[in-house]
Amino acid sequence: MKSGGTAHRGFGYSDHSRKQNFFTFLSMTKKQVIEFSRYPISFVAEFSQVLLIVGMFMFAAIIFIGEGGAGLPRIAGIMMYGFVLNMFLIFVLWEIGFSVREEQYRGTLESLYLSPVNKFSNLTSRIFAIVVWTVGMVGIALVVVNYYVGGLPAENVLLALFLLFFSITGILGMGFMAASLILRLKESANLLLNVLQFFFMIFCAMFFPFSALPPEILNTVTRWIPLSYGVDSFRSVLVGQSPELMALEWEIVVVVLFGILSPIVGYYLYRRGERKARLKGTLGEY
Amino acid sequence: MPRAIIKVQNMSKTFISKERKKFLRPEKREIQALKSVDLDIYDGEIFGLLGPNGAGKTTLIKCLTTLLIPTEGTAWVNGFNLQKEENLVRASLGCMLMGERGLYWKLTGRENLEYFGALYHVPKEKRKERISYLTDLLNLQEFLDRTVETYSSGQKMIMAFAKSLVNDAPILFLDEPTVTMDVHAARELRRIVKELNREGHTIVYTTHQMFEADELCQRVAIIDRGEIIALGTPTQLKKSLKIQDVVNLEGVIPKGVAEKVKAIPGVKDAVIKDVKAGKSTLGVMCDNSRKLLPKIMEVLLENEVQIEYIQPQDITLEDVFIAKTGRALSVDTSEVPEEEKGGAGGRV
Amino acid sequence: MGTAIAGLGLYKKTPRTSFGVFASVLKARLIIISRYKGSLIMELFMPIVFAALPIMLGVSLASGGTPVAENWKISSGTADFRAFMLIGACTFSVVSLMTWLVGFWVRREMVTGTLESVWVTPAKKYLVIGGVTGYALIRAFTAFIISFLIGSLIFGVNPFQGNILIAVLFIMIGLLPLWGISFMFGALILKVKEANSLINMLQWVLAFFMGVYFPVTVLPGFLRYVALSFPPTWMTNGVRASLLEVGYFFEHWYIDLAIIFVFAAVVPLLGYMVFMRTEKRLKKNQGMGLY
Repeated sequence: MKSGGTAHRGFGYSDHSRKQNFFTFLSMTKKQVIEFSRYPISFVAEFSQVLLIVGMFMFAAIIFIGEGGAGLPRIAGIMMYGFVLNMFLIFVLWEIGFSVREEQYRGTLESLYLSPVNKFSNLTSRIFAIVVWTVGMVGIALVVVNYYVGGLPAENVLLALFLLFFSITGILGMGFMAASLILRLKESANLLLNVLQFFFMIFCAMFFPFSALPPEILNTVTRWIPLSYGVDSFRSVLVGQSPELMALEWEIVVVVLFGILSPIVGYYLYRRGERKARLKGTLGEY
Repeated sequence: MPRAIIKVQNMSKTFISKERKKFLRPEKREIQALKSVDLDIYDGEIFGLLGPNGAGKTTLIKCLTTLLIPTEGTAWVNGFNLQKEENLVRASLGCMLMGERGLYWKLTGRENLEYFGALYHVPKEKRKERISYLTDLLNLQEFLDRTVETYSSGQKMIMAFAKSLVNDAPILFLDEPTVTMDVHAARELRRIVKELNREGHTIVYTTHQMFEADELCQRVAIIDRGEIIALGTPTQLKKSLKIQDVVNLEGVIPKGVAEKVKAIPGVKDAVIKDVKAGKSTLGVMCDNSRKLLPKIMEVLLENEVQIEYIQPQDITLEDVFIAKTGRALSVDTSEVPEEEKGGAGGRV
Repeated sequence: MGTAIAGLGLYKKTPRTSFGVFASVLKARLIIISRYKGSLIMELFMPIVFAALPIMLGVSLASGGTPVAENWKISSGTADFRAFMLIGACTFSVVSLMTWLVGFWVRREMVTGTLESVWVTPAKKYLVIGGVTGYALIRAFTAFIISFLIGSLIFGVNPFQGNILIAVLFIMIGLLPLWGISFMFGALILKVKEANSLINMLQWVLAFFMGVYFPVTVLPGFLRYVALSFPPTWMTNGVRASLLEVGYFFEHWYIDLAIIFVFAAVVPLLGYMVFMRTEKRLKKNQGMGLY
């Protein structure tokens, strides 16, 4: 008996149509945007922070290359394009990870669970807002640096955007995975996010060419992280050099696969983590 | 005539609250949380502060414990002036203000007590002594040396209570101390409060549970909308109503019926006290309920009220509140935004 | 006036119990942090990661044939850019620790509700704050030393070159003005509820101007003066100058140190004043406990 023998009297006002799913997604995105807009200071602060960090690196690079040294645009390109991916990574990790944690802390996570909202739109609505925001910040940072070094290299922009898209979806998957861990880690979540952030920063060579990493690390760590290929291909395509890790065609294959598989695996892991939390009753705990 | 140990003179407190109606354009609003309060609390009594959420209880206590600076007026605590001798006022008080909050979660209970003992300038040897005394008094042995994060909410409350006793202050402020305790623990806490009072401590106790105030307090003040609307011993307050009894009628009661019942000659007041699962409790105060009951029933039946339960009752402090304000205690009158009430948000 | 007086219980104000306030706050902080082992370890590696980023850039440029060390010497006075970056990153982590520990101490206690508990005690605020900052000083100083040693190992830097004693002096006295800056941050946090991102940003402003990755002398005119008005800039350069050959701002180490001394005398006082004023204003309106 499909209904388990119970009567069914509808869902009250709750509507499960696809249309309503979409509206739920919209209203959750709206909640995110409203929450952002309540903190205009954070907007400006985060933005200036990005420029300051970029500035610090640029000064170091300029001194390294020396007065009148050639190749500044190239090295600036390598740094900036790595930096773009780094920004997406950091924002997605912190936003997903942190808001899960924050809501767990404030107790709003439980109330969210009480409503039969599609869990996927819960996570994606958060990210949707933050990705848009990051695009804006990164765009302006690129413009500023472009002006400063007298033109960043920008060879194959279309292919680069294609690679960027799949890298971002791949990063979203990584965010889901982090969220599943955070549900379990609670207090140490901050720590985990910090470690992850720096781990990828170094081992995916986000701010320097892969040639700076010792070959042992390159072979035992870097080559095993799909995101490395995202960084390498995106950057190489724009700067106009051949990638350092693999042939470009193969890197493109890896990035596309990463972009498709990572969110699926990540989402699955998140749901599993959530189920575990519900079994253990730690959803509303902190 | 007993001597006051706390004297509140003409104390007012106005909050400026910003409301965010439109993006980036906050609107200012003034909220008077206390309106010229005058109050004496006598040396050695248990004094109850009653009132619904947002009535000004917490604001008054925060002012008296130096957490807030009153907009106007002053107070004297234990012979010290509130504004001029802040630190001596603080030294005179033991405070349990925010329920289970206010403890360090990563410290053990003992470490918390040590810490706050030191902050109250209790000499080191005395601190040790005091902690072992409190351990026996409040049965802390079982969890004293675990970090607070592992406590149940009742254990946190008891630890917070212990913290308020660590300096053995002559005056204790207890703000809804039993709110998350189970019945047994709450009874135990009240027993200890009485004992402390017998030892000579003055205790200022806020609660919204009227029976607690009835049981504990020698005098109570009822605060509503920033003003003290009644003050006296529980017996005095109940007598002041000049009615004999109260009838509680439970059932499905449509809106507007209370007004009609109130219009019956001989009925002093009729208020919906409580609404649960579609059923309401109508409290009717009158001179002689037995005589008036048929009349009341008649009005109710005319208005198609379904009555399930009728219970005559002794007058409680809640009835005093209803008689003074025309509202039930469970109605939240807060004008102050949620965050300014401080403490555990979800109190009823 | 006319109220009864019933004594003060166990309250006894003596120099010993006053010191007890300071000591207890310090001790409680140390106990609490010892229960967050992961963060402590993370904290030690943070400066190493920060140093690693530009060092790797330099290394890869060098392997591509750019005379990186020579270029670095021209601008900064030392060819050892690894040590230069490592010192910068370590001092920056000290700055960041100080600002977060003191600034966010307030915020954290607001959230947990302990701020009110502390504020209703008769303990003098400066003793409580003294305890907290004493703890921050201890933690920042040890973090610097350990990170610097581990980093030296990783990047192949000789940590025992130059005049170590003077370097330590620069760190210790340089920490004092940071104390004051962190008070101001603390006041800001009391006032602006969502100050996290603001503080974060200010921290990077400091990072930029104190010259974590480059000598501030390469900054264009106006910006250089801004940089020199921040005490951490002097601290960083002092440590670098005493260990490497980057040169003091005023030729001799004692003049630079004297200037930090002036900062150390003025900034904490200023910070404390700002903090207390903000607190007072808060109590006038809403109170300390809100979250």
